[in-house]
Formats: sequence, C-alpha cells, structure tokens
Amino acid sequence: MNEGPSELEREIGQLPAPVLEAFQQARERTEQKLSDAELLAWAQQGVAIALLPVRSWDAASEYFRATPVVCEHLSATQLIDWARSGSLLCEDSPTLAAAFFRASAGTVPHLAAQQIGGWANLGRSLYRGTWKSSTLSTRFFEATPDLAAHLSYSDIEQFVALLRTLSQKSWDLATECLALGLELFPKLDVDGHALIDLATVLAERSWREVKGCFEGMPRLLTNVQKEHRGRFLRLAERLAVSGMTNIAAFLSKGSTALGQVDPGNQGHLFDLAERLPHTSSEAVAALFRGSPAVLSRISADQMEDWFETGLGILQHNPDGGLAYFRLESSTSEQALEALSSAVELERAQDVLRMYCRALAGANVDIVPTKELVAKNIGWVSETSAATDGTTVYLPPRVDKYNAKAMNFTLLKVISTHQVGHIEFGSFDFSFGTPSERFPDRRWERSAELSVTPVGRSEPEAASDAPTEASPSAERGFLTDMGRFFDLFPKRKLALDIFTATEDGRLDYRVKADYPGLSAMYRRVQLDALTERPRIEAMPAQEAMVEFLVRLSLQQNRGLPCPKEFIEEAKAIALVAERLLHADAMVEDSAEATIRIYDLIAAIPNEAVPEEEWGEVDAEQPEMSLEELEQLLAELKGRSVPAASPEQQEQSYDSPPQIDYRGDFKPELAQLLSSLRAQQGQQDETQDDVDMSREMLEQLLANSVELEPGTVEGQPDTELGAFAQNIMKEAGVVPPTPGQGYGPMAHQQDDGRPLEAKEPKTFVYDEWDFRAGDFKPRWCIVREKPMAEGDPQFYADTLRNYAHVVAKIKRQFEMIMPETFRKIKHVQDGEEFDLDSVVESIIDRWCGVQPSDKLYWRRNKVQRDVAVVFLMDMSASTAEAIDESSHTSNDWDAPDDPAEYMVWLRGRRGERTHRNVKRIIDLEKESTVLLINALESIGDVYGIYGFSGYGRENVEFYVIKDIEESFGEAAKRRIDKITPLHATRMGPAIRHAVSKLERQTARTKLMFLISDGRPQDRGYSREGVEKEYAVHDTKMALTEARRKGITPFCLTVDKSGHDYLKTMCQDMGYEILDDVTALPSRLPMLYRKLTV
Amino acid sequence: MTATKGTRTVYREFEIEEYTLVDEPFYVPVSDEIELFEAAYSQKIPVLLKGPTGCGKTRFIEHMAWRLGRPVTTVAGSKGGSQEKDGHPVPLITIACHEDLTASDLVGRYLLEGQETRWIDGPLTRAVKAGAICYLDEIVEARKDTTVLIHPLTDHRRQLPIEKRGQLLQAEDGFMLCMSYNPGYQSALKDLKHSTRQRFMAIEFDYPDQEVEARVVQHESGVSAEIAQSLARLGEKVRNLKDYGLQEGASTRLLIYVGRLINQGISPRRACQTAVSWAVTDDRDVQQSINEVITSIFE
Repeated sequence: MNEGPSELEREIGQLPAPVLEAFQQARERTEQKLSDAELLAWAQQGVAIALLPVRSWDAASEYFRATPVVCEHLSATQLIDWARSGSLLCEDSPTLAAAFFRASAGTVPHLAAQQIGGWANLGRSLYRGTWKSSTLSTRFFEATPDLAAHLSYSDIEQFVALLRTLSQKSWDLATECLALGLELFPKLDVDGHALIDLATVLAERSWREVKGCFEGMPRLLTNVQKEHRGRFLRLAERLAVSGMTNIAAFLSKGSTALGQVDPGNQGHLFDLAERLPHTSSEAVAALFRGSPAVLSRISADQMEDWFETGLGILQHNPDGGLAYFRLESSTSEQALEALSSAVELERAQDVLRMYCRALAGANVDIVPTKELVAKNIGWVSETSAATDGTTVYLPPRVDKYNAKAMNFTLLKVISTHQVGHIEFGSFDFSFGTPSERFPDRRWERSAELSVTPVGRSEPEAASDAPTEASPSAERGFLTDMGRFFDLFPKRKLALDIFTATEDGRLDYRVKADYPGLSAMYRRVQLDALTERPRIEAMPAQEAMVEFLVRLSLQQNRGLPCPKEFIEEAKAIALVAERLLHADAMVEDSAEATIRIYDLIAAIPNEAVPEEEWGEVDAEQPEMSLEELEQLLAELKGRSVPAASPEQQEQSYDSPPQIDYRGDFKPELAQLLSSLRAQQGQQDETQDDVDMSREMLEQLLANSVELEPGTVEGQPDTELGAFAQNIMKEAGVVPPTPGQGYGPMAHQQDDGRPLEAKEPKTFVYDEWDFRAGDFKPRWCIVREKPMAEGDPQFYADTLRNYAHVVAKIKRQFEMIMPETFRKIKHVQDGEEFDLDSVVESIIDRWCGVQPSDKLYWRRNKVQRDVAVVFLMDMSASTAEAIDESSHTSNDWDAPDDPAEYMVWLRGRRGERTHRNVKRIIDLEKESTVLLINALESIGDVYGIYGFSGYGRENVEFYVIKDIEESFGEAAKRRIDKITPLHATRMGPAIRHAVSKLERQTARTKLMFLISDGRPQDRGYSREGVEKEYAVHDTKMALTEARRKGITPFCLTVDKSGHDYLKTMCQDMGYEILDDVTALPSRLPMLYRKLTV
Repeated sequence: MTATKGTRTVYREFEIEEYTLVDEPFYVPVSDEIELFEAAYSQKIPVLLKGPTGCGKTRFIEHMAWRLGRPVTTVAGSKGGSQEKDGHPVPLITIACHEDLTASDLVGRYLLEGQETRWIDGPLTRAVKAGAICYLDEIVEARKDTTVLIHPLTDHRRQLPIEKRGQLLQAEDGFMLCMSYNPGYQSALKDLKHSTRQRFMAIEFDYPDQEVEARVVQHESGVSAEIAQSLARLGEKVRNLKDYGLQEGASTRLLIYVGRLINQGISPRRACQTAVSWAVTDDRDVQQSINEVITSIFE
C-alpha cells in the first residue's frame, strides 16, 4: 500500500464521475482535519473499495460521503479501521457496504470507536449470500442509526442475534420484526431491552409468536403506564421461560385489561402478579383479564385480600386456583362479595322481593331497572328506581357508601319508598274521592275549566307537544291522574309539584310507620339535600319548586328564597306541612298541588340578583285550616309584579331528580293499571270506553312524564312505539301489522262434537265457563306410548343427584316405620297389651266372657295410595332456565301454536344463557327421582306426559302406565320426554282421572306439573279470553275431586299465582320459586301430602 | 273449685266439670261471632271454629264459656217486663285431639281397684253429664273412628252411647259440642269427613285487623300502645308473605309473645327475630326477608 499520491490520483481519475464527485466534495471538507498522510490513507481505502469487483462504486461513493461526519468522531486510525470494516463487507456484498457507509453517519456518533467493527460484523452475520438475507442485512444497517439512538450496543447485538435466529426460520419474519422493532424501540425507550429479552426467549421456544408479540406492543404502549411496561415484559418473559405459550395473546389481552384499570392501580396489580408462581402462568393471565371486573367491585387494597385467598387455593389445588382467578369459582365470587361494599341487586333481589311483598301486601316483583328501560314505555333511566304499580324496578347496584350494610340499607330505603307508592296508594288517586286534610277544589276547578277552557296562551315551557286548546272536558279521560293534571295549563310544573308533595307525604308515612328505618331514611334525605343544586342560581319560579323539594326533604331551617316571594314560600311551607299526617292521602297531595301550583305558577321565572335572597324557616306558627285558606286566597289576589323589562323570563326546567326517590310517573302507572284491568274484564267493557291506540297516543303526547328527549325527533313514530309498548306491557293483545286494533280475527271451530273412532282415543267434554255448561264430546285424547330412548339418562340422573337421592331415600324410609301401626287386640303378638289384659280381668270379674285377644303387635298397614303424575310437555318447557329473574308474562302469547312457536323463539332469543338446562330437563330429572322414591315405598303410580295441538288432538303420552310395573322400558321412555306443542290441560286431567278411577286405592292423588298457564289453539273464547282455559282446567280438577281424587298443582311459573288462585282455589298448589329445586322438591312434596 | 294448700306448694286442682271461668277472658270481637255463638248455644247447634293457628279460637271459646255462664238480664220485648236469669256457670272441657285418641279415652273405661272394678267417665261423658261446653281442639288429628263417636251427640238426639256399660246418656241442657279445625295446607289424608263436618255450623276466624290486633297485643302483653301498634303492623306484613314462601303468617299469639319478651327487657328487634322470623320458618331467605321488615319497623 505504498503507492504515491500521483499513482492514487491517476486511479482516482479513472473513477466514474459520481464517485469522483463524492471524493472531491469529501476531500474539501476533511482536508483540515487530517494530515496529508492520513488523507492519503483515507483516499487509498476509498479507491480500494471502488476497485473491488462488481458494483462497488456505490459503496465507494457512500464511503466518501460519510467521511466528513464520521471523521468528526473518529481518530485517523479509527477512521481507517472503519474503512477496512466497510471494505471487508464490500468483499461480501457491495450493497451491504453501501448501506453500512450510508448508515455510518448516523450510527458512529452513538457507538464507541471499538464497536464499529463489531457493528459491521453484526450486519454481516445476517448475510447469507442470498437476496433475502441481503435485504435483511441492508435494512439492519439502515435501521442502526435509530436503533443505536435508543438501544445500547449490547442490546443491538442481542437484537441481531434474535433476528439471526428468526432468519433461520424465515427471512421475511426477521425482516418484519426488524421493521416492527424499529418502530417500537423509540417508544419503548429503556424497555426495549426487556422486549428483546422476551423475544429472544420466544424465538427459542416458539418462534412463531415473536411477531405477534411485537404486534401487540402498540396496545401495551397505549394501555400500560410507562413505568410498568418493563415489568410487564419481564413478567411475560418469565412466563415464557416457564413454558407458557401464546404470550402474544397474553400481552394483548393483558394490556387491554390493564387499560381498563385505574392507572394508579397497575403497579399494584403487577406486585400481585409477580407473586404468583410462574408455573401457573394461566392464573397470571386470568388475574390480568379479571382485574377490571374485580377492581370495579373492590378497592386495590381489598384486592390484596382477595388475591391471598386465591393464592392459597392455587398452592394446593391448581385447578381450583385457576378457576378462582378466572372468577369462575363460587369461592372467588363469595370472596369478592364479602370484600365489596357494593350491594348487587341480583343478590339482594330475593330478600327484597319478599320484603316488598310483605310491605305492599300484593304480589310485587323486583326487577332491575334495565328491563323497564328495555320495555320502552316511558321510563328511561337505568339508575333511578321506579314502579309501575305492580313491579318495583331497582338499580342493579348500589355503592354509595363505604360499608356494605349501609348500601344495603340504602337499597332498602329506595325499595321502601317505591313500595310506599303502592302501600300508601299513590296510584289509587281518584278524582272523585274527597281529601282528608283540605277542602276539595278539584271539582270546582274542573267545572271552571269546562266553562272557560284555559287557553294555552301562557308560554308552555315544558310541553314540546303543544296540543290545540282542547277543552279537557270533551276528551274522554283515560286516567284520574291525567284528568287531574289537565286542570293545569303548565302540566310539567304541576307534575313536579305533585311529585314533591306526594314524595314528601310518602317519606313522612314511611318514617312514621317504619321507625327502624327512619334513621337511615333521614340520613339519605340529608345526603340528598347536600346534592341539591344551589338554589340561588335558579330563576324565581324554579327556585320556588326547588324550595318545595327541599321542604319535602325536611330541610326546615334557613331555606333560601327570593325576598320578594317570602310570603308565598311561607304559605307553601304551611300547605306542605298539612300533608305530614298519618291520615293524609294521595288526594291530599293533589289538593296541596293545586294550592301550591297557584302560588308558584304566578311567579315569573326570571333570575333573582344575589342580594335579593332571604331565608325562610319552615316551622311556621300554627295556623288553622280556615286561616290558611284565607291566606292563600289573599296571596292569590296579590298582584305579582310584572316581569321587569330588562329581565327575560326563562323557560321552566324541572329540578333534578332525587336519587333515592327515583322516577315517579303516576299518570303512566295509572294508565298501565287501568289497561290491565280493562284487559281482565274485556268482555263487559267491549263497547265502552275501550282505549284505542289513537287515544293512547294523544294521552302520551299530552303527558309530560315522557322524557322530552325521547319524544323529539319523529314524534309520531316514537309515540306510536310507546303506545304499542304500553299496550303490550298491559297485556292488551298486540295487533298484527295491517290489522289495526280491531277485534282479533279468530278462526272459529266448526263446533261439532267429535267422535273417537280409532283405538286408544277417548273423547271428553270441555267446560265453557261463560255458557256455564259443558261442550259435549269436545276433545279427543290420543293415548300413545312414549318412544323409547337411552336408559342411560336414568342412571346418569341418579348419579348426578346422588346427594338428593340419598336425602329423599332417608325421608321415604321414614315413611315405612310410620306405616307399621301398633295393632291392639290380636290373638298373637309381640307382647301383652296392658289395656286388653285389664279389660279381660274386669270382664272375668263381671262375669262376662273375656276376649282372648290380649296381645298387640306391629302390623304393616298397607299404604294404599295411587297417584298419577301429569307432566307438561308443552313447547314452552324448552325454555332455558334463566338465572336472572325474568318476569315471564304469558298473557301476550299468541293462541295459535304456529304463531306461538314464533313468539316463543323470539322470546328465547332474548335470553343470553344458552347452554343451561331447560325446564323439561328438570321435569325429566324429577321423574327419575320420583320413580326411584316411589319404587321404595310401593305406591301405585303412573307417569304421563301431555301436550297437543287443537281439541281433536290432545296427546297423552304414557311414560309409565299405572298398571305397568316399572322396568327397563319405562327407563327408556323417560329419556324421550321432549317439548312438543301446546297445553290443553283439561282433557289430559280428565283422562288421567279416568285412569285413577279404576284404581281401588283408598287415597288417590293427581299431580299436575306445569310451567305456565294452559293454552292451546281454540282453548279460549273468541280467541282472546284465556280465562276460558283456566276455567276448564279448574273444572277438570273439581271433577277429579268429586271422584275422590286429591289434585295438586305444582308449577314453576313464578307469575303463576294469578291464574292458579282461580284454577285451584281451595285445592293445593305450590309455586316453585326456584325452578332448579323441582327434582328435589317434587318427591318431598309427595311425601308430605301422603303421610 | 278446690285449692289444696300444702305446707309449701300451693297449686290449684279442678275436677274438669268444675272448671269454669270466673274472670272475663279478654276477647275483642272482630265481627258478629259472639252473637252467632250465643244463638248456636241457645239452639243447641254444634259449632266448628275454623281458622289459622293462634288467631284466638281457644280464647274465643273461653270467653264464650264465661259469657254464657255469667248472670244475664234479658228484657222480654213485647210484655215489657224484665226477667232476671241467674248466673249458672258453664264449665269448659277441652280435649286435645291426637292420633291415638280412642273411643274409651273420650267415653270412659273400667279401672281395677283392688279386687273391684270401677267405671270411670271419660271427659266427653263428664261434659255431657255436667252440661259443659266440650271443646275438641284440632279435631282432624283424631282418628276417624273416634270422630264418628260424637255423631249422635251432634244432632237432635244429643245422646252419648256408652257401649261398655250398655247405657245411653242424654246430654244435659247446657251441653254443647265445639271443635276447632285449621284448614289449609294439610295432608290429603287428614281432611274432615263430610258426614262429620256437616253436623256443625262453622264460624270462620282470621287474624284481626291491625287496630284490633294492636289492642289485643297491648292488653295481653302489657306493652305500650306504640309497640303494640308496630307489632300489629309487623303481623300484617308478615302475613302478606303467606303462600309466597310462608305456609302460615305470624299468629297473634306469637305477636303477644314478642310483646312479653319486650316487656322483659329483650330488645324489640331481637324479640321479633326469635318469636317471629325464627318461629314461622326455617327458610333462610324468608327469615332474612322478615328480618328486613322487622328492622324497618323497629329501631
């Protein structure tokens, strides 16, 4: 290499133009920094590169171009080393060398001089002489400036090692990972190292996941706090080392879950996760995934306790522990429940349902609010409680206080208030009932209105559906409540006032009647007061309503009030005070509303300046009713100052709702109940004021109880939907499209008696309760043997219910000794019967022939019971058992089986749980347990299933005939019990009775097990009156009783009380609240009834 | 009435025919049951008292025995003169029926006394002889062959055949047969036969309404009017749960127990829990629901 400069210049001169140009530019800029000799060496290197074979000119150009920057950082010798590294590369591939030199400008500043050679080698290590490897290697060089900026050299080395490993599997994969890494490292910053470590582990164990893992990083970046990212990756690495697969999914799901957790809690979560043994990697994954759900219920500190329990389980029972962290075990659920301060309605529902029933004295159901909202009949809030007069809707969760007990009591307060509406008669308002505490003004007011209808000239702030000034008297009133609100031009104001007065009255009654609850009630009221908006910020009219609301919450002192209206405020306080009395009724609230409305409606709704506010105490000196009325009249006569010109009267907005009082809609509730009542007695009222859909819509348009937001938009269709939903809710037959609301077209039977021609068919009469007579030979019962299936079901059920079977067996065995009666006066026996001995001695002394029956013995008294079980096999038994209580209202079920199936399918679609048991499955299981029990005591029994389709086709399936002895065949038949068609109970019962009649047993029983009301095609009057079916069934049961058979109905239909009360009256019936209890309950019930 | 005074113990012992009620048993009529009973008594119609447990059937019969036995002044309508009737105490003989109650348990039997035999009358026979009100409590529990025995006593014959002695006993004037029966959720095997039940007129009882019940509870237990009112309210609320998990609501008797416990210094909530919710059901959920009602009503 000892060529002279001239030689070099000649060679340079031969270089192609671009290289020469690059050389010249570089020389100009490096001349000052390097000595001549160094410059010479530098140039020589460049020429050497250029002279290498095949397309090395590019590399040389890049070499020259990079030099000015590179030499800033390197000494002359290092510069030459750098050049040598490059030229070595160039020998392998000029492209590589070019990339190396090109990247040098950006890379060298980040590297120590001695690392440069290594760097070049790294690149070369990726090169395998193929085109793809060259791309990878080139990309690596290109990427190095960025990589070096964020990674240490050793990290880069490791990263390259990773790429090399990957490249052995797939070049594309390696290239992609490089690209991904390039994007990620700047963002990951110091945690890049952790990612590389993780990827390295993965590359060795399951290389396919590496890419997924890289791809998951952006999610991690957005969801996981910066300080925890490294921890997360290192955790993943440890899991990977201990054999976890699918790390990519772990990272992405974990990240998503962490994103839903409060950022402050993430660290805590990692503390916990790191304590889990690495071998149970799934538990770690489950912990992360479950964390949002867990933390939404308990605090991070409480989570620690929950975690400890799980850890304990995990250590001795890995599967159990895993289920625990997956939130799939009841232990876990219980632990959460115990720790959480929130009260879930689902858990308290059963207790509260009974509580509310007890209070209301009516069949009140408890349902989460979301079901009410889903009905779309006017209530829109999922967080506020409500009632429609028969059902109390409660928020799904209460978590206001820190202690669970407090939250439960709060829920109790909420439900007590709602039930109060029912118990203290909020919905019983009747326009004609006189009030107790006020002279009545409703009627004169109504009379005034009909003479001079109140023009709705006043700014109708609230109602966004302005109706033409219709004289209310002309309109038929649908509800008394609606009629009452029609007395007021400003309906919304009237409703707000009525709500406040009525709620105030209820609160008073509840506190007076339930002293045990009053402390908490008071506290809830006080809390509600602190949540009220600042009264001083309100315009005058709203302020007065708010004043009333606060009065109703029992704020008695220092109530802010515009000075101008202090007299009115005092009068309002006096009126409201009169409602706080045990005799006050809903009509009193109404009268109070009239008086308060008159005061408030006259007040202009304009802002009141800060200095114009005064305070009022609610405790006013006693005043007699006459004085009060006098005062009110005076105030009414007082001319209210007209709105000051500079002041704009504002539109009236209702004060915000009070949480615990929920959403009070008296008019809607009355409407629903009147619709329901109307439905109940459709026949009589057919020609009367039958509510048409139009009337309903008009009423709804008038009502201010519908949230404005929901009515706006397309008022017509919205209202139509409301009207339809309400009718459906009330059980009015829903119209089929196009048919309108006319009487349902019903397919009439030809009404001819039927004849049983085929073998095994039987005809029975049917009872028509309207006619008060039987329809002769009306139904054909076809008795068929049930098909035979797999006997395994029988064995399986016995196994699955082993504990119940054991219990039932014990119970039934106890029947046996009971049947061993001590029989006295026998000739031969276990011992002397003392009474008989004494008697015989007496007889002898009296000179009478003594009896020789002196012994007693235990004798087996033949238990003489014959029983028939009738299983409902209607299509509805295919219904899955929903854990959450779902009020099943069958009233709107279509009559025709074809339609019914569609309806049923639609209904079933609503359910979310799919793979739970169906009712029929429980019926089948009950059958098994029952047979097992009955066989042990030797009662005569038959088990039948029934279904059908129309009166000429009542199917009566024999599972075990009463005369048949139990065997393999019966076992097989049980398996084949399936849901079929409809339920025509009457004929089935009659047929069962005819079978029992032939039995000679002293006690005869018939059990009817059903899941709902009877229904079938044509099993009603005029297609609508489903009472018909109930009455026919009742008649069939009565017939049974007359024949000395004791019928008993067992139903799993929770809403069964209404029709069973009619159907069974004085006969026994039971409603199983918990369907799943059927298999264990049925045998026990049987035992109870026959002992 | 005889009171045997020992040196230490004092106890009262009655011959059953001599057990009459001297002090007025407290009873608040709910409806016209007193008039009905008086009419039945004077017309010698046997009476069946139907009603749930602890609603006051036994107390009613005690009250009636007392009432019928006290001196009454009847005013003869048309003739204008008043007639004085002497107080003639009506004994009350109560027989608790059970499965093993035999005919001789009711009618009587021979006993051995030394080398002699002696006939001893059963309670029914004694009632018939003494002209007492005979009260058969929980008649459905008795064996069917036993119940048939009373048939001749219930119709116009008013006779009790005493088979063993070959006698026929004609009932005294004041004799009246009464029985109680708790309909409802009962075993199919234990129902009253029609041939028996149709020999009685029936008076139906139910728990009194809140106001009356409050008075009863207050009087019987001695609690304040306020607590009695709350107890009556509790009773009403718990009865609302009948058929919804409860077979029977809390009886007035239980409410009185609660009142007495409270009087002894037991806290109201605790007293209600022990004497109401635990007493009426074993079902945890129902107990809890009742407890919630209790905690709402009592502080």
